[in-house]
Amino acid sequence: MSAVTQSGLHRDTKGSKLVRYSLIGISLLFVFLMLILPLITVITEAFKQGFAVYSKAVADDYTIKAILLTLEASFFAVAINTVFGLCAAWSLTKFKFKGKKILATLIDLPVTVSPIIAGLIFLLTFGRQSPIFPLLQDADIKIVFAVPGIVLATIFVTFPFISRELIPVLESQGTDEEEAAALMGAKGFTIFRRITFPHIKWAFLYGVVLCAARAMGEFGAVSVISGHLRGKTNTLPLHVEILFNEFQYVPAFAVASILVMLAILILVARSVIEHKGRKK
Amino acid sequence: MYVELKHINKHFGNFKASDDVTVGIEKGKLIGLLGPSGSGKTTILRMIAGLENPDSGEIIIDGKVINNVPASKRGIGFVFQSYALFRYMTVFDNVAFGLKIAKKPANEIKERVHELLELVGLSGLEKRYPSELSGGQRQRVAFARALAPNPQLLLLDEPFAAIDAKVRQELRSWLKGMIQKLGVTSIFVTHDQDEAIEVADEIIITNRGRIEQVGSPYEVYSNPKTAFTASFFGQPSIFKDYSNFRRFDILENAENAIVRPEFVKVTKKNEVQKYKSSAEEGVVEEVDFRGYGIELRVRVNGVLLTARRSFDQPRIDVGEAVDVFIYRMFVTQGDTATLLENKSLREPVVVI
Repeated sequence: MSAVTQSGLHRDTKGSKLVRYSLIGISLLFVFLMLILPLITVITEAFKQGFAVYSKAVADDYTIKAILLTLEASFFAVAINTVFGLCAAWSLTKFKFKGKKILATLIDLPVTVSPIIAGLIFLLTFGRQSPIFPLLQDADIKIVFAVPGIVLATIFVTFPFISRELIPVLESQGTDEEEAAALMGAKGFTIFRRITFPHIKWAFLYGVVLCAARAMGEFGAVSVISGHLRGKTNTLPLHVEILFNEFQYVPAFAVASILVMLAILILVARSVIEHKGRKK
Repeated sequence: MYVELKHINKHFGNFKASDDVTVGIEKGKLIGLLGPSGSGKTTILRMIAGLENPDSGEIIIDGKVINNVPASKRGIGFVFQSYALFRYMTVFDNVAFGLKIAKKPANEIKERVHELLELVGLSGLEKRYPSELSGGQRQRVAFARALAPNPQLLLLDEPFAAIDAKVRQELRSWLKGMIQKLGVTSIFVTHDQDEAIEVADEIIITNRGRIEQVGSPYEVYSNPKTAFTASFFGQPSIFKDYSNFRRFDILENAENAIVRPEFVKVTKKNEVQKYKSSAEEGVVEEVDFRGYGIELRVRVNGVLLTARRSFDQPRIDVGEAVDVFIYRMFVTQGDTATLLENKSLREPVVVI
């Protein structure tokens, strides 16, 4: 595809060889300095004192708890944002209602707002200063400095990922096929299962993967609301920070390497999904 | 009347899509809803189907008011403008969809789908996906799918709009023949006057949310009742003042005169022309090749008229002075149109 368009272009539009090679060179150099080099550093630092030290750091109780908590928070964030993302994307593309533009804009808010602010919002909403704090305490619900707070912060930060992937696909599809199915007597869920979902499947999976990636890596918002309680409210990114601040460099890099591997896993999943989606 | 609309009104925000629409459709007829875009024709179709609800008025099918009957219970087949085929289903599953929803037994579904695909000439393509079909084939699938549940009424929204010109011609006669064969009452929407004239048994002309005129293609074409209908068909030249054309009666409060190309006869000065004495002087400004013949633009009494000539007739050049005889014209007064004939046609011709 790209080969066809390239050979079809006139030389003037492609630029000279010098321009071409220097642009490619700059891109490669930049990627190497900003991405590859740091990744290599993380891995080499992690294994600096041998595999035994690495595995000890990874198998550490606190590390395992941090991994589990990260997976838990990510799972809930993805699950809840899936439901919300489908609802939001569906209503924004298939219905006409007042406040539609406001909703569309607000969905993007978490991307533009600093994660620290997101953490602070929940801290102030559910923390000791909040007017609803006594109510929560009476009901024995802990949010701040506890797992629910971490899940909330993660949800906030990963809010738009799924709906943003779905909206363009749903928009391009239009409502004709659904109307046709409805005219033949199909009910809401049948229409979704047989008509809409096959169409949005790949975009949806792609959104889920992006959402999961962002959820696992979230630091800022979670940092504010977690309270950094080791073994209790420490996610992987927070655990890395604590280890690093305690000058435990090898364990810090070892734990960081887990995050890197998760990221690479997700990247592979993403490419597979993109590839399959395009084939369709 | 099989389908009746009574005093239907419909707004979209400030836009009045239907303005007191009242019209009836006979059983077994093939009806063309014809009008420019934005004239409310698709809205009428979608309201009959139940995809939109009128603000007020009654929709009656087979004697029953169906305003509150859900779309799926109206027994209507609908062919969408872009066909809206289910792109992740095969041709078979597309046609079978409505029958499956209706929980028909599997062998019955299979039989019916094969019967329909045979009817539309797509046997053997059951396993194809819509993306693997040509535009014409897609339309046939959409047609078969709409017919599958045996609807009493078939609605088609711009059924030929998405097809290239050559195939469109074929499909027009195919669809007309098919609908006649099945005898199902059908309404199709189009903005193309040729299409409506060629396909429909009866044409309903819409404009700005209102029904302008209802009648056979011949009737609406040759006997327009409203100013809009008169100016919509053909390739009309429209001008204000026709008092310079001597051989026509002058009507009071006349607004526009409308002259279609077939009302105009252009002859060279040396050609024989029966009504030469009452022909006007004209100067040819444009000569265009049109395949079927030559299209001319002739300035007569300050008005630019369009006329046609065949290739058999002697050649006419730009700038040539010619005789222009106008057989008839429509004159509009407010909303109505009146046909005026050249008075010379009624007088005995004196050959000198």
